[in-house]
Amino acid sequence: MHHAQVDQLAGQRSPIHSLDARTKLIGTLLFTGFVISAAPNHIAVPICYAVWPFAILVLGRVSFRFVFRQLLLVSPFVLVLAASNLFYDRQAVPVVFGPIRFEVWGGLLRGLSIVIKFMVTMSMLIGLTATTRFNDLLAGLGALRVPRLFVMQLGFLYRYLFLLVNRADHILQARKARKLRHLGVKKEIQVAGNMIGALLGSSIDTAHQVTLSMQARGFDGRLHRMHRMQFGWADAVYSGCLVVFLAVLMGLQRAI
Amino acid sequence: MHMANELLSVPIATGTLALAGGGLVFICRQAQRFITPSRLAMMGVMGAFVFAAQMVNFPLPLLPGTSGHLVGAVLLSIILGPWLGSIVMASVVVLQCLIFQDGGLLALGCNLINMALVPCFAGYGIYRWILGDHPTRVRMYVAGVTACVVALEIGAILVPIQAAMSGVLLVPFHTFLGTMVGVHLIIGFIEGLVTTAVLAYLRQVRPDVIADCPTGQPRWSMAMVYVSLLVLTLAIGTGLALLASEKPDGLEWSYADRPDQPEFEPIIVNENPTIASVDALHARMAPLPDYTIRSDSAAAGWTSFAAVIGSGLTMALIWLVGWAIRRKEPVIDASCTG
Repeated sequence: MHHAQVDQLAGQRSPIHSLDARTKLIGTLLFTGFVISAAPNHIAVPICYAVWPFAILVLGRVSFRFVFRQLLLVSPFVLVLAASNLFYDRQAVPVVFGPIRFEVWGGLLRGLSIVIKFMVTMSMLIGLTATTRFNDLLAGLGALRVPRLFVMQLGFLYRYLFLLVNRADHILQARKARKLRHLGVKKEIQVAGNMIGALLGSSIDTAHQVTLSMQARGFDGRLHRMHRMQFGWADAVYSGCLVVFLAVLMGLQRAI
Repeated sequence: MHMANELLSVPIATGTLALAGGGLVFICRQAQRFITPSRLAMMGVMGAFVFAAQMVNFPLPLLPGTSGHLVGAVLLSIILGPWLGSIVMASVVVLQCLIFQDGGLLALGCNLINMALVPCFAGYGIYRWILGDHPTRVRMYVAGVTACVVALEIGAILVPIQAAMSGVLLVPFHTFLGTMVGVHLIIGFIEGLVTTAVLAYLRQVRPDVIADCPTGQPRWSMAMVYVSLLVLTLAIGTGLALLASEKPDGLEWSYADRPDQPEFEPIIVNENPTIASVDALHARMAPLPDYTIRSDSAAAGWTSFAAVIGSGLTMALIWLVGWAIRRKEPVIDASCTG
């Protein structure tokens, strides 16, 4: 399961893992904002932005095979929309790249820019979640004044995700074992409805059991953490480097 | 329907993020007034249920070889009420973004609005309206299908609007809108049928689940209404400003040079040297003259070349440093596990 793999990666130890979750979260937001603000027909600047997530992934010991597989999984919608630019701008645009000069369609340039920006920002997001434990991320969100109810909801959701996805897997396996042919749309939807209904019923029963056991352990609607979040020297260095990096690339963008 | 960062401009992405964040804070505050600790675990499990239910796929009619799955916003609203339902759906969208990278981090605002907040409230409103005070089996089914179709369509319509306001895509607005509406009409209808099938199952097996719906009816103060309208106006105003045409406006048109009409004499001419020198200074200093970036193609080409080569070398250096640090400890190859 993907989230189990993310958990495994986030549980490693590295300089990136030891950073405060708030630093990484705000850094990722800021970085993403700068990347998408690059001009829509620029290629070189978004490529240069890739240095930062590359550094995060390398220093955070995140496997590139994992990153590429994840990028491929989530890319179809963006790829289709990026490719659609080809149909609407076929005007030849001169491109100068050092000693090389050539002409391409404006739509191709724009589509390529979208794809590169997508890969760069998604790599940064993968870098964030693969180097930060989900509980730390939640604590960071809480410290950034995201409503407590919502943070707790995210925590519960993540905790029970494993349980219910496993249960859904068993139900699907049972359907696969019993169904030997296509049953027709009406029957298929009815079967899916019954399966989801059964899953829902058992989920509600699970919720009741969980509530009872939580109340028995004195749950009062608050989640407590053993470690205090602290903004340290490493966070200051990371933030400083990111600001300098973004400023340099902003200058580069203006020069181009 | 998950929007990516790259399809949005920074003002639209941040504006919608602020709007969705503000909306979520408001919903959470309202929900805290009537929520009990026992509902907290239920909400968490229901969020996990949506993930699990999305694994149950079924073949789509008219589109052979494709399969669909439940989205779950309307079903959650029916079971938990719109306030708790939207919080649960929002948590699902946030988790999809953070853990599964479905949709960008900066596009989270758009995705929350399109897939959680709007569908939950719109879907629930339509469902209750059709169901009325005397719910029958047929009414419940009609209400379920209609609510799903309308809720999904509203969310789908918002996607091209946000993309058009951002101005990143070249796809004409009406083409994108038509595609989104057409595709989501089928998806919404199927979603409606599955939701109805689930409701039918629950009606027979667990009638308490759909009967025990905590609507929670917090009221909006007038101050909140005014603030919401102000935020909405600012968001729409900012977006519409970005849709501005690059052609001259009426005033500019009256004095601008017209290459296609050589005989045209500008109505307004100002030959004052002070004004001319200020204009020249402004043109030199402005970072974005007329909202475009200044460029000298040959020099820019070499700068791009140097920047890309430099970035490549930097990456190689980072990789070497990383390799030197970790060479004694093996990297966990997560793609080979699970």
